[in-house]
Amino acid sequence: MKKTKWSLLLAIVLVLSVFLSACSGKNDSDGKEKASGTTDGEGSKEKVLNLLETSEIPYLDNIMADDSVSLNVANNVYEGLYTLDDKDQPVPAGITGEPEEKDGGKTWVFKLRDDAVWSNGEKVTANDYVFAWRKAVAKETATQYSFIYQVAGILNADKILNPEDKMYNKTDQLGVKAIDDHTLEVKFSGDTSAKPYLKAVLSFPTFYPQNEKFVKEQGKEFALEADKALYNGPYTLTKWEHEKGWVMKKNEKYWDKKNVKVDTINTNVVKEEATRINLFETGKADRTSISAEYVDQYKDKKDIFSTVPESTVFFLRMNQKNKALANENIRHAIDMGWDKKQLTDVLLNNGSVPAFFLVPSKFVNGPDGADFREKNGDLNKGDAAKAKEYWEKGLKELGTKKVDLTLLNYDSDTAQKDAQFIKNQLEKNLPGLSLKIKPQPFKQKLKLEEKLDYDISYAGWGPDYPDPMTFVDMFITGGSHNEMNYSNKKYDELIKKASAETDLQKRWDMMQEAEKILIEEDAAISPMYQRGLAFITKSNIKNIHNHSFGGDYSYKNWDVQ
Amino acid sequence: MVRFVLKRMLYMLITLFIITSFTFFLMKLLPGSPFNNEEKLTDAQKFILNEKYGLNDPVPVQYFNYMGNLLKGDMGVSFQYDNRPVSTMIAERIGPSAVLGIEATIFGTIIGLILGIVAALRHNTAADYVSSLFAVLGISIPSFVFAGLLQYYVGVKLDWLPVALWDGPKYHVLPALSLSVFVIATVARFMRTEMLEVLGQDYITTAKSKGLSKLVVIYKHSVRNALIPVVTILGPLAINLITGTLIIEKIFAVPGLGYQFVGSITLNDYPVIMATTIFYSVCFIVVILIVDILYGIIDPRIRVAGGKG
Amino acid sequence: MSMREKQLNNDLFQPAVISMEASEKITEESTSFWQDARRRLFENKGSVAGLIIIAVILLFAFLGPVLSQYGFDDQDVSRANLPPRIPVLEKVGFLGIDGVDIRGVNQYEMKNQKDNYYWFGTDALGRDQFVRVWKGTQISLYIAFLAAAIDMVIGVAYGAISGYRGGRTDNIMQRIIEIVIGIPNLIVIILFILILEPGILSITISLVITGWTTMARIVRGQILKLKNQEFVMASQTLGANSSRILTKHMFPNILGSIIITSMFTIPNAIFFEAFLSFIGLGIAPPTASLGSLVNEGFKSLQIYPHLVLYPAVIISLIMISFNLLGDGLRDALDPKMRK
Repeated sequence: MKKTKWSLLLAIVLVLSVFLSACSGKNDSDGKEKASGTTDGEGSKEKVLNLLETSEIPYLDNIMADDSVSLNVANNVYEGLYTLDDKDQPVPAGITGEPEEKDGGKTWVFKLRDDAVWSNGEKVTANDYVFAWRKAVAKETATQYSFIYQVAGILNADKILNPEDKMYNKTDQLGVKAIDDHTLEVKFSGDTSAKPYLKAVLSFPTFYPQNEKFVKEQGKEFALEADKALYNGPYTLTKWEHEKGWVMKKNEKYWDKKNVKVDTINTNVVKEEATRINLFETGKADRTSISAEYVDQYKDKKDIFSTVPESTVFFLRMNQKNKALANENIRHAIDMGWDKKQLTDVLLNNGSVPAFFLVPSKFVNGPDGADFREKNGDLNKGDAAKAKEYWEKGLKELGTKKVDLTLLNYDSDTAQKDAQFIKNQLEKNLPGLSLKIKPQPFKQKLKLEEKLDYDISYAGWGPDYPDPMTFVDMFITGGSHNEMNYSNKKYDELIKKASAETDLQKRWDMMQEAEKILIEEDAAISPMYQRGLAFITKSNIKNIHNHSFGGDYSYKNWDVQ
Repeated sequence: MVRFVLKRMLYMLITLFIITSFTFFLMKLLPGSPFNNEEKLTDAQKFILNEKYGLNDPVPVQYFNYMGNLLKGDMGVSFQYDNRPVSTMIAERIGPSAVLGIEATIFGTIIGLILGIVAALRHNTAADYVSSLFAVLGISIPSFVFAGLLQYYVGVKLDWLPVALWDGPKYHVLPALSLSVFVIATVARFMRTEMLEVLGQDYITTAKSKGLSKLVVIYKHSVRNALIPVVTILGPLAINLITGTLIIEKIFAVPGLGYQFVGSITLNDYPVIMATTIFYSVCFIVVILIVDILYGIIDPRIRVAGGKG
Repeated sequence: MSMREKQLNNDLFQPAVISMEASEKITEESTSFWQDARRRLFENKGSVAGLIIIAVILLFAFLGPVLSQYGFDDQDVSRANLPPRIPVLEKVGFLGIDGVDIRGVNQYEMKNQKDNYYWFGTDALGRDQFVRVWKGTQISLYIAFLAAAIDMVIGVAYGAISGYRGGRTDNIMQRIIEIVIGIPNLIVIILFILILEPGILSITISLVITGWTTMARIVRGQILKLKNQEFVMASQTLGANSSRILTKHMFPNILGSIIITSMFTIPNAIFFEAFLSFIGLGIAPPTASLGSLVNEGFKSLQIYPHLVLYPAVIISLIMISFNLLGDGLRDALDPKMRK
């Protein structure tokens, strides 16, 4: 019996202590809150931004960064040869000017700036670049973005990264050399004039330098905590509480610090959308993205609501291993058989635009200065009646009246809604079609696509470098991202020629022709939409710009008024 | 008793070994690689990445490697968060989850017990109905709805407490409250049923007729005997709360274990899946052992060890 | 005092004529255990109310979809997100079912749907929410009954055997439960979905695998408690076999706990399904369950409250009535409660 009494007493004490600690805690944190509240702009000098992210930083090591959060952080705390301005144009950052070109454009010599330093005071040298670039292509590093070295065409990168090549993992063969502390020589495997996007690619975080001595000192611990990395960008990471958030402060040693306006950027990890919006409503966050459900609520508040077009395109893959989908007319019918505008305007409702193309609009301009879309326009645009025509023709050719297909889908709520809409539209407009939706966990979906074990699949593709090639070379015969058994000799030929073509206008025309073949002639995919993002942002935040590739933002340009 | 506990410890190791092995092989059946951006990797890249993490070896070899390292106390590094040791990851995340879970369990149990006891003593009166209704609502409303409503009305509209995030005791109130609703409901329901049953027993009548004070009858004779099923359910419930609940952690942006675990499963982060499973199982098995021991303490008539006791 | 002085002698006594049968004669109409239980169940107002609500919900679940002219997947985005509107009742302003949304705009006029009535409004795809809610109710009820059945069959049997046998059997059976609980069930469920595709069958199987452990542990605890009680020992001494002791003596005594536990299993199962929908592994769209409807609708709580309101109210009604019924059932079946 005594035990019961003791445990009861214990319980009461515990409760009391919890309550007491909660009460006393309240006062403490109230005090703290006020302290940080006053730093919010007006009056005091310090400019503070409070942002939200949906995930923890997976990699603080710029070479390992392969996701939007890591790339965004890397873009702001480190700096490489080039950086993107707010028109997505590459501008010199770690270099004093444009490089000197030698060997008919096959070698570039960069002059590094003198005043670029690491956060420990050491100068950023040419050796730091050589070390980082070699690390990026090394087998032991195994970074996903090593392929960007092939995209840039750095000499021998393709061989070093190919397990079957003799030169595999011989990183010292990479075409990069430090002439002296501030002179970097880079050799390319082909003519650089065939790569109009080269400078923009060099602004990618995988090409940023790393301080060899420091990295080796830290060993396995490198970049695991805020104080286990060196920074040379506009900001330094001063606090990093895993899964909770991080703080970036203006880098006082940065060479261009007079142009950095915001002093402190707090980022909190919040995964739930409703919570992000509630934090925005209570003034604890300055900006957040919102999905269709909330757009209706905010779209009339012009001072805080905005939509930003992205360069990611979503489309339906049609697996040509399926007998019905191997028929061109059936594919045309499926592409035309649903209302893309309703999907973007009513369901997505976030600034997404209907896609009748593979290469997104407002992504890159050609040598003639015109958008890629200007010449090709909307491809395979039709209506339900036209779709039915194609459909019946297709059915006749197949000699059947009924087609059963499954639509492999992402497991997210929005994707489910989109899929239900498409299913309903297609079944209504194409009599005899039955479409079953099959949502799968992400990893499983990828596996099924890889094994070509699906009929139709909801897929998306974002650019890896600012050039249409990142989209169009996806569908060459046997390409590792083709994944739908599509093959067209003419298409392959065009892509192959375009990759080597140094006449930029010709190259551009070839890519446009290829896109036409893919969608208008073959209807290999059914483009769905070019994604947009809707944001709510406090009206005192200025100069926000989304980059279409690499890190999303350059906070350097942002301002709080 | 000591022998009993030692024996159970041995069983625990065996159980753990089976759980670990099972989970390992089941996990390997999940499709896909553990890498981000898998959709963008070429075959050569996948090969290099797999090589780095030893995933090109046959599964049995991976299994023995893993178990070998585990015996040495090495749980490996996360695939999602490069090079970060899994043990530190769990250690960092368990704090908030455990604090919330304990707060919710203690608060929930006390309120639940009071509600349950009051309802039973005032059987078929307004007090009974009110407490039962509360209990029913507590289990009928999905926790994310309740949490969302709390967050919106208390956090945004009334602005009494922080909406979310994790920065001190003030931030615990809403998530702990949301978590405790289910505990309150569960404990209250079980307590009420058991109390009603116990109150009908002869020994209670005896105790009453002996002239014992009401309080003594309630405490000494009823509550103690009614606790058995509550204890049975409370142990595992507490573990579920302490190891983190995905939904509450997500809604209140608490950097806890629950969300990380679900995330690691959907992303195939093998070392994190394994370590969390082991951690969770250990907690669970220990709690079951404690519950079994408590059976004997609360109700001496139960002989846990079976046979002779 | 005077009484004492009276002498008692044998003559004063005569043997009474008592027939054994007469004393045992049953004058009242006999009631079996179940008749008795039924009578007491219907005397309980709460459980009658519960029964009626369940009956009404069941009726609507099957009739509701027929009442509407729309199918559960008839989409038309031009009529998306309409608030509820019911004929006649729309005149009663404070009920809030006049087609005016929370911003005070009559959406039916805005979207040219003046002649239409959607009793529960429409969702983002312009589907009639009334039909979807009742279709969802069918699925949720199926899951609820299934979960309760699994608990009753597997959970009770497992727990009873484990607790009653004790010793080595108990030890092994409890370790198996620990293993079942220890292996993360999300992995198991994902694997099932890979093999079977998402849908009602995978949910059923995941419930069968993981749903019974709590019940088994509760029942075991109760059996352990009862095992050493006097009436069980008495029965054992009188030569009753195990199955008789379990069914006649123990089962009625643990019925209360079993019913209460089932009352938790039902909402847990419904929410488990909602959780699976939450991570995209539940019922395959366009089919919906109440759980997934609440889940989806909750996001637009602040702007389209009708989407979450109706399914949430129906879930709560189902739970409350099951609980009322459960309480009544327990009182009716529990021999100790008999007055």
